[in-house]
Amino acid sequence: MRNMDLRFQNNPSFLGQLFIGTFWLVFALTSLFFIGVIAGLISYSDLATIRNVLGQAEFRYAIKFTLLTSITATIFAVIVALPCGYILSRYDMPGKVILDTLVDIPIILPPLVSGIALLIFFGPVFGDSLAKIGVNVVFSKLGVVVAQWFVATPYAIRTFQQAFNSIDPRMEKVAKTLGYSPTQVFLKVTIPLAKMALIGGVMMSWARALGEFGATAMLAGITRMKTETLSVAIFLNMSIGDMDFAIATAVVMLCLALLLLVFVKTLIKNGVRL
Amino acid sequence: MITPLLQVSKLNVKAGKFALRGINFSINDPNYLIILGPTGCGKTMLLETIAGLRKPTAGKINLQGINITDCPPEKRGLGFAYQDSLLYPFLTVKENILFGAKARKKDKNPETVQRLHSLAEAMQIGHLLKRYPQALSGGEKQRVSLARAVLINPPILLLDEPLSALDPQTRHAMRNLLREIHLQEKIGIIHVTHDFNEALQLGSHLIVMNQGEILQEGKPIEIFNQPNSLFVANFLQCENIIKGKIKRENGSLKFVSLENNWSISPLPTHKCAKKTHNEKVYLSLHAWQIKLAPQGNIVSSNTNHWPAIIKNVIIHASHVEITCQGQGFWNINLSRNEWHELDLQVGSAVTLMINTDDVHLIYE
Repeated sequence: MRNMDLRFQNNPSFLGQLFIGTFWLVFALTSLFFIGVIAGLISYSDLATIRNVLGQAEFRYAIKFTLLTSITATIFAVIVALPCGYILSRYDMPGKVILDTLVDIPIILPPLVSGIALLIFFGPVFGDSLAKIGVNVVFSKLGVVVAQWFVATPYAIRTFQQAFNSIDPRMEKVAKTLGYSPTQVFLKVTIPLAKMALIGGVMMSWARALGEFGATAMLAGITRMKTETLSVAIFLNMSIGDMDFAIATAVVMLCLALLLLVFVKTLIKNGVRL
Repeated sequence: MITPLLQVSKLNVKAGKFALRGINFSINDPNYLIILGPTGCGKTMLLETIAGLRKPTAGKINLQGINITDCPPEKRGLGFAYQDSLLYPFLTVKENILFGAKARKKDKNPETVQRLHSLAEAMQIGHLLKRYPQALSGGEKQRVSLARAVLINPPILLLDEPLSALDPQTRHAMRNLLREIHLQEKIGIIHVTHDFNEALQLGSHLIVMNQGEILQEGKPIEIFNQPNSLFVANFLQCENIIKGKIKRENGSLKFVSLENNWSISPLPTHKCAKKTHNEKVYLSLHAWQIKLAPQGNIVSSNTNHWPAIIKNVIIHASHVEITCQGQGFWNINLSRNEWHELDLQVGSAVTLMINTDDVHLIYE
């Protein structure tokens, strides 16, 4: 009888409280750590220094170059990812598992390794053939776009694939019976249905291209005012001890990343998981 | 000779390990065809093949005499509606209904707009035209989905379990609406379902399918009364199925139960496709074909009758379901009035009666 009374008491046991309490503690400490890291970076620089750096020609070049190359890379990533994501989502084929896994490789590979692979592909393997038609990828501005495209495309394919997976194929079938050709179905039904998730995927890919460093450094090299993206600018200025420039650039990149994240999270309530 | 509205000949379709095999049927202009079968029997696959959404591996589909087997779905002009309506959430109800007309660049034609309004009125969705699908109930969504399929004036409307996702009241209203669409729009309908009541209430013609094959085809009431296989009898919920043999005695035919030697005779010869002595058969009887009377009261002399005890009674809104024991268990349905007049209860001794003309035999 006494045991029964204890069992129906509302108070959780001491061990239960300790268990959940520990979870809360870890959660609070981790959150504090992240906030501390970001606040530390922002507080290390002052507004006047940031304003000064923003006015410098090198910074202006880096930000324009980064936006130009990352947007170009993202556009090409989208062009490739739309058909790839759709095929992976809608069709079965022999060896699909292998092709599906191949898409993941650039996500898992360290960017430096991706860079070396690209360097070999566009250098010793196809470099000469491409040079003959006037295309020079290695240690060039084009190399930056190629490196960014290479790391951003798998993210785009994965997010687009998930976006298409979330659409009932029967929605497309109904449109076909109503008189729409496969192209029209894709443009008038599939894209509008997947719109939010696709925009999320584009943003994620752009974010990936925006922050790219390792593969860019290996393929396009680190040349001031030539292949100098924001990430490269931070590395270059850190290496010569110009902390003000490096930190100001880092703060700008942080703000860009935050803006992108807020935009994506506002757009996609259901989320496209990577 | 009248050209059938739709003729499907020797159709084979494959999807993974499942296949539709040798599908043959045709429907004429005013037909309301029901394709009935359990989940996974290939009904939806057949419907999608007719619509052009799946490619057959063999066979032919003719629409109004024209071979459309290789014609893409967008050129067939058949209306299609799935059970879960599948409206486009980024379009209003009006835009959803006009979606097919838009593909033909006719969505702004005065005739199309007039048809939209008359259809919306007939389907009682006129007040919903400016809303988005997210703000509609299940029944309203299904009406919009039907209006979308009907607006393009299809010669045939293909409906994939259109009532199964609806609650009972909405289902009743939708059933009436389907009948109205069929009659007023003069559209042939192929309606896929696993509910036999829908077949009886709506169908002018019925096909029963299982495991990718057509098992029986005919008028719904004929199939209901004369199932041609044990599967069809069970699927149509024939309440009394008894395994037995045909015996020849003194020149007449007799059915003898294998379980307890219960027998009925004489079997009408036209009911027996095979008259061989000891031929194995199943006897099927619907619950309303067995009559019940208090013990001692025999209604007619040309009936087979035997004593039984009432074991269970379930009172439904429309009828009373009675289980009796006597030479096996028997399920009997009576109207509530009949049951009330008999003044019986569980445990009452009764006489069960069968008219041999009602008996149906299914050969193994």
